[in-house]
Amino acid sequence: MNLRLLLILPLLLASCSSLPEIRPSAVVAGKVIACPSPFVARKTLFIHAVEAAAAGETRAVMIGVTVADPASRTLSCALMSPEGMVLFEASRNPSGTQISRALPPFDEEEFARGLLDDIELIFFEPPEPVDRAGFSDTGRFVCRRRLQGGGWLDVGKDGDGRVQIRRYSKGGTLRRSVALAAGANPYAAIELQASEWIGYSLSMTLVEPEAVLDEALSGK
Amino acid sequence: MRGQAGRRLLILLFLLLTAFPDAAGADDFDRLRRDASGISSLSADFVQKKSMKILSAPLVSKGKFYYAAPDSIRWEYVKPIRSIVISNQGNTKRYIASGGKMIEDKTGGALAMKIVLDEVAGWMKGKFTANPSFAARVQEGPETQIVLTPTGKNTAGLIEKIEITVSRKDAVVKTVRIVEGAAAETRIDFLHTVVNQTLPPGTFQDIP
Repeated sequence: MNLRLLLILPLLLASCSSLPEIRPSAVVAGKVIACPSPFVARKTLFIHAVEAAAAGETRAVMIGVTVADPASRTLSCALMSPEGMVLFEASRNPSGTQISRALPPFDEEEFARGLLDDIELIFFEPPEPVDRAGFSDTGRFVCRRRLQGGGWLDVGKDGDGRVQIRRYSKGGTLRRSVALAAGANPYAAIELQASEWIGYSLSMTLVEPEAVLDEALSGK
Repeated sequence: MRGQAGRRLLILLFLLLTAFPDAAGADDFDRLRRDASGISSLSADFVQKKSMKILSAPLVSKGKFYYAAPDSIRWEYVKPIRSIVISNQGNTKRYIASGGKMIEDKTGGALAMKIVLDEVAGWMKGKFTANPSFAARVQEGPETQIVLTPTGKNTAGLIEKIEITVSRKDAVVKTVRIVEGAAAETRIDFLHTVVNQTLPPGTFQDIP
């Protein structure tokens, strides 16, 4: 009986979880607050040190290269060992995903999809319009979107200037939580927490200055 | 009958030539081994430039390289991510900076690096023909260049060729260029190379 309860408990807890409430308001002291939008505005190259952890233990440290082009919603990414060995390389645009290199253990299709979903969440402004804006219980100003594929996306800003991106399932379960750095460059430090059956976290630190890629100059 | 003998001779000649395609190359490899046998230890700075289609400019990594005969190697990156691979007495360990300290990599990364470092240790000893996965040939010029090309399916597709430039004077490796494909390559330049001087104590010891 106890065992059955133990098995059911996580499901009960999951079904009880719901979207955090926000008190609709976009006006403070007579001023309209703009929704935070840290997302890339031009085609940009980022090189981060990426620490992947699971169960609270660092599992891998890699170099992550990302090129995000918001105009075409095209992403290219590569994961390299610290020694420069390319372990994974892929790109995604609205018409599909292309994997050009995937060495074990990065050769599972699920891994590529999950990684590109995470990168898209971090760098691209969602195409959906803001559904509501207001303040959470913790006092964070949040703009909420209803995602076309189901679920919700909150982009909020803390008092210290850190932007938080949170993706919830249709039922309101938190799936991804992204915290960007406060200050002029939100992509200088990124913390991503994935809440799945096997949860993981990514800690990304910019190791090279980000580069805006001019199409006309680079010819790419 | 005479014509048949002539044909046989031609076939024999062809077989001899194809069996020993570069007898001069074999001499060159012997010379490289002899020259390198004088190297008991070596330290150098290195600059690694990684070029890929995704990068607008090469990604530059820097670090220190240490070698002690017969096969101890410490390959230490200090930029952009600090990592250390130490291969000593058949054991290879890899450490990566995480949370302000060096942690040992418990994934398969150390094993992958062991394969690389065993190969590099061979090059330091002037052994460029030991790995059957690669065919080696020598090109003489202002410097000696060894070109390794994959012989099997396993390496082909990952590596197109490896070019190693060696000093004509003392067989010290000066550059390594790993061509992964038309749009991707890694070039490592060894600088400030010091040969046969005492290395810092603990160079090949585990990181506590």
